[in-house]
Amino acid sequence: MKPEPTGSELLQRLLLGESEGGDMTALGTAASGDADLAKCVVDELTFSELLRQALGGGGNDVEVRFEASLASASLSIEDLLGRVTEGSATSFECDQVVKHLWESPGAERQLRRDLVMEEFLCEALSAAKSEGAFLESLETRMWAETRNDRFVEDFTKRLELELLPVPPDAVEDGKIVSFSTAWGRPVAKMAAVAAALGFGAFVVAQMAAAYLAGTPSLASVVKTSSGVIWSGGASPGEDGSIRSGLYHLQSGVVSMRMASGSELTVEGPAIFEVGDDASTFVHEGIALARVSPTDLGISLRSEGLSVSESARLIGIDARTDGTTEAIVFNGEGGICLTGGGKCRELSEFEAVKADHAREKLIDVPYNPHAFSNAWALLSGVDDNLGSVNIELPGAEIASSGGKEGEVQVFVENESFRPESELEVDRVMVGEFAVAEANPGQQLQAKGELRSYLLQLWPTAEDGDEGVETSLTFDHPVVGVIFSSDRLESSDSSVGSVMAQAGEAESAGRGMDSGSDEILLSQDRRTLNFRVKKGGGQVEQVRVLVALN
Amino acid sequence: MNLSARELFVQQVREHHSGLRGFVRSLGVDPLWVDDVAQEAFIVAYNRLDEFDQSRDFGAWLRGIARNLVINERRKDARRKRILSDNLTEVLIASSSVSEEEDEEMGDLALLRLNALKECVKSLPEKSLKLLKSRYEDDNSAQDIAEAFSMNPPAVRKALERMRAALRECMEEKMALATAH
Repeated sequence: MKPEPTGSELLQRLLLGESEGGDMTALGTAASGDADLAKCVVDELTFSELLRQALGGGGNDVEVRFEASLASASLSIEDLLGRVTEGSATSFECDQVVKHLWESPGAERQLRRDLVMEEFLCEALSAAKSEGAFLESLETRMWAETRNDRFVEDFTKRLELELLPVPPDAVEDGKIVSFSTAWGRPVAKMAAVAAALGFGAFVVAQMAAAYLAGTPSLASVVKTSSGVIWSGGASPGEDGSIRSGLYHLQSGVVSMRMASGSELTVEGPAIFEVGDDASTFVHEGIALARVSPTDLGISLRSEGLSVSESARLIGIDARTDGTTEAIVFNGEGGICLTGGGKCRELSEFEAVKADHAREKLIDVPYNPHAFSNAWALLSGVDDNLGSVNIELPGAEIASSGGKEGEVQVFVENESFRPESELEVDRVMVGEFAVAEANPGQQLQAKGELRSYLLQLWPTAEDGDEGVETSLTFDHPVVGVIFSSDRLESSDSSVGSVMAQAGEAESAGRGMDSGSDEILLSQDRRTLNFRVKKGGGQVEQVRVLVALN
Repeated sequence: MNLSARELFVQQVREHHSGLRGFVRSLGVDPLWVDDVAQEAFIVAYNRLDEFDQSRDFGAWLRGIARNLVINERRKDARRKRILSDNLTEVLIASSSVSEEEDEEMGDLALLRLNALKECVKSLPEKSLKLLKSRYEDDNSAQDIAEAFSMNPPAVRKALERMRAALRECMEEKMALATAH
C-alpha cells in the first residue's frame, strides 16, 4: 500500500505544479496542525510569487497594465474602437469594445469592415505588405515547411515570366490590373526601397580587442566577388588590410577575416565603420558572420538588435528602414533588443526581426534568400565551368526534380573534427580518370574539415560526349568520396543530413556507373567532373577540405 | 501533385491573398501576425489541395481554413497568441458566418478593391499622404504620429478616420464604375 504523503511532500508537489486531487485539502489539514509547516508554506508561496514577478510575469508590468486600464476606462468607445482597429488595444480595452459590441447589434460587422479596410490600407501603402513581399515570404515558408516541394522553383519561373515586357494590348479580361503590372510594381518598388533606404546599423565588436592591439590592421580582405566598387570614405589598403575608418562599399561582396579568425562578409551597397577597438559598425548592407571555433566570441549589433550569443554562422539583414533581421544558419545564438530587455534564443534555421519603433522582437520565417550572394562568396566554392548552384544552408537534398546537367553544392558540415579515420575513394591528381570501384584510402582523423555534398544531375540525351563541370575550393581537397557504399558509411561521420535519409534515398547514389570521370588539380583545389550524357539518376560526390 | 495543380495554386494565391489577409484581420488577429496566419492558411491549403473540390469556391475554402486557425489561437498559451483578445475574436468569429456579400468583399472582388484603393491613395494631398504613410507604412501608432506632427492623439485618430472614410468612398465609386463595365 502506498504511504500517505507528508506535509513537506505535499508542499513540494504544490511548488512543482504537480498537486493531485485532494493534495491541497491534505496540505491544508497538515498545515493547520503544524505551525512550522504552515510558516513554510507561506514562505515558499511568497517566494514563488516574487520569483514569478522577477521573471517578468508581474511586478512593474502588472502596475503598468493596471494604470493603463485606469486610463483606458476614461476613453470613449470611438477611441477604443480606433485602438482595436490600429491594433494597439490592450486586453482591457478589447473587453470594453466587446461589451459595446454585445450591446450594439450590427456593430461587430462594422468593426470587421473597418478592420478589412485597415488591412487594405496597409497593403496599399506599405512596401512590407505588398503582394510581392507577401509572396516572397510565402514561398520561403512553403520551401521551409513542405520539404518535398519545388515551390520556389515554380515561383521563380513564374516571376521571371511575369516580369517580361507585356504588349500594351495584352490586358486580362475582367481585371483592372494585369498581373504583370501588379508584379512589376512591387518588385521594382522593393528594389528601389532596398537601394534607397538607409540600412540599420550593425556592429561587429570583437571581444578579443587586446589580442588585436599589436596588429597593424584590424582585419583583412580575403575574398571579393566581381564588381566590387568602393566609393567615398576609406578603402582597404593595397594588401587588403582594413584599418579604422568609414567604408562605403557601393557594390559587390567582400569577405574579411578578423584577427580572431572569424569572417565577416558584407554585400554592397553597404557602409561600415571599423573602430580603433577592432569593432566594425556596418550601417548598410547584408552581413554574414562565420565565427571561428577559436574565437573568444563575436558580437553583432544593429540599431534594433544585438547578438548576445554568437552562433557559428549568423546573418544580419538591415536593409529595411525600421526593422533589422537576424538569422541563424548554423549553431545556436542569442538575440536581444538593444538597450537590454527582451532576448530570444535562436536555433539553426530560425530568424527574428527587431521592430525599432515598437521595440519588439518578432519571430519571422527562415528566409535565407537575401543572403544568396554573401553565401556564394562565403561557401568557399567557385564555379569555373558548367551550371553550378551553391545551395543556401537548410536547402533540402532532394533525389528528384533537379535541373538537367546542373551541379548542386551543399555545405553539409561547416567544420568538424573526424573522430576516426575516414575511408575515401582514390582520385588521380592532375589527369582525368574514370570514377570506378577502387580499394580506397584512409583519411587520418586530424585537423578541422569541411564537408561538401555535390549532386550532379543527369542530362536527358544519351551520347558519348560528357558534360564537364569545374569547381575550385578555397581550401585544399583532402578527400573525395564518390562510391555509394563509402558515401553511406561516411554520412554520420561527417554529420550529413543524409545519415537520416531512408534506404531508398541512400541506395546507389554515387558515381557507380564506371563511365564518369574525375580530375583533381595538382594544387588539390580544383575538381573537374566529366559526366556522360543520359544516365539514370542524380549522382552524389562528397568533397572534404582541410580548414587548417 | 501534378504541375497544373501547382500552377493553379500559385494563381489562387495571387488572386486570394489580399481578401484572405483582410478576412484574417477582421477576426481580431494582431496586425503584426496577419500575414503569418494568412500564409499558414495557404500552406494548409497547399498540403490539402488534393482534398479541394474544384467545383467549390477556393477563396471560401481558404477563409474556412483561416477561420479554424484563428479559432485555435484562443487555445494557445497567452505568449503565443496571434490575436488581440480572446473575447474580441470570439465575437468577431461569431459574426463571420459566410454571406454572399462577404464572399464578394473578401473573395472575388478583394483584389479589385485593393487596386481601386491604390488608385485613390494616389490622389491624396501631400500632407494627408504623409499622415497616412506614417500610420500604414511606418506603422506608427496614433500616439506616435501625434508627437511627430505636433497634434493631439484624438485629432490624429479623427483625421485618419476622415481619410479612411473618404478613401472608402472613393474605392466604392471606382468599384461601381469597374463592375458596371
